[in-house]
Amino acid sequence: MSASGRASGLGKFLLLTIFLFFIWILLSGVYTPRRWDEILTGLIASAIISAFTSQLLIKCPASRALNPLRWIRGIAYLIYYFLYAEVRAHLDVIYRILHPAMPIRPGIVSVPCELKTDFGLAAVACSITNTPGTVVVDVDERERKFFVHWINVTSQDEQTCRSEISKPFEDRLRRVFE
Amino acid sequence: MIGIATLLAYALLAIGGFCAVVGAIGLMRFPNYFVRLHAATVAVIGGSVIPLLGLAIYSLSIPAGWDERALYFSNALIIAALIVLTSPVGTHAMARAAHRAGVPVEPKVCDKLEEASR
Repeated sequence: MSASGRASGLGKFLLLTIFLFFIWILLSGVYTPRRWDEILTGLIASAIISAFTSQLLIKCPASRALNPLRWIRGIAYLIYYFLYAEVRAHLDVIYRILHPAMPIRPGIVSVPCELKTDFGLAAVACSITNTPGTVVVDVDERERKFFVHWINVTSQDEQTCRSEISKPFEDRLRRVFE
Repeated sequence: MIGIATLLAYALLAIGGFCAVVGAIGLMRFPNYFVRLHAATVAVIGGSVIPLLGLAIYSLSIPAGWDERALYFSNALIIAALIVLTSPVGTHAMARAAHRAGVPVEPKVCDKLEEASR
């Protein structure tokens, strides 16, 4: 392994160790250094797990996670997603459930996606599936396409579907993950 | 005297109960497997993530030490984050398996996946 490869491997290892140790602190509820034995156990356990899995879990350079702008954009995306996109989708599906005539037009449409990284593709797919009314049924990784089951198919054209379903997520997540 | 944070927590818990009941009604009313998944999503995000956020806010106002309150707060948030990250994976796996096994998509407007895989 080359020197730069080793350095990036160390970066991935440290990143995952810090993340796992942070989760350990939150879950165990040990916030004072007086209980140093529990903190030390957590540190050793996260280092061992990270040594085995960091190369498998993190595929892009670890230095990307150090850019604070990405974190700010990610938090802004979460606020937008939960306060606007989720609320709108929930109200829409609740209306369709409770309406006596049940106005649904279900169908599976294909939606192209322009993000390049695996993290970006997974984040867009999870965002689509987590909003009620759209579920990703299959992914064509070669042609970068989602097959989305949509509860209210208004159009079968790919670009129209993209602007209706995934464009707002894609535009915001592109600046977080790429 | 009830503070604003407690009222917000009660409101989030009530919204969660409403979403869970509506999701159950949707599971009964919707015509086929794939459309029922949408009702299940309402029950998961609206019915368990939102009450967990309410629980996190409520735990800040209980009479206990700051470390105990911080523990309940952070645990509720971690559980909510785990549900948000893992439930779409399960929904996607079930939808993909059902489509591959030939579960009928009727009634439908179109099925681009069947046309593409033919």
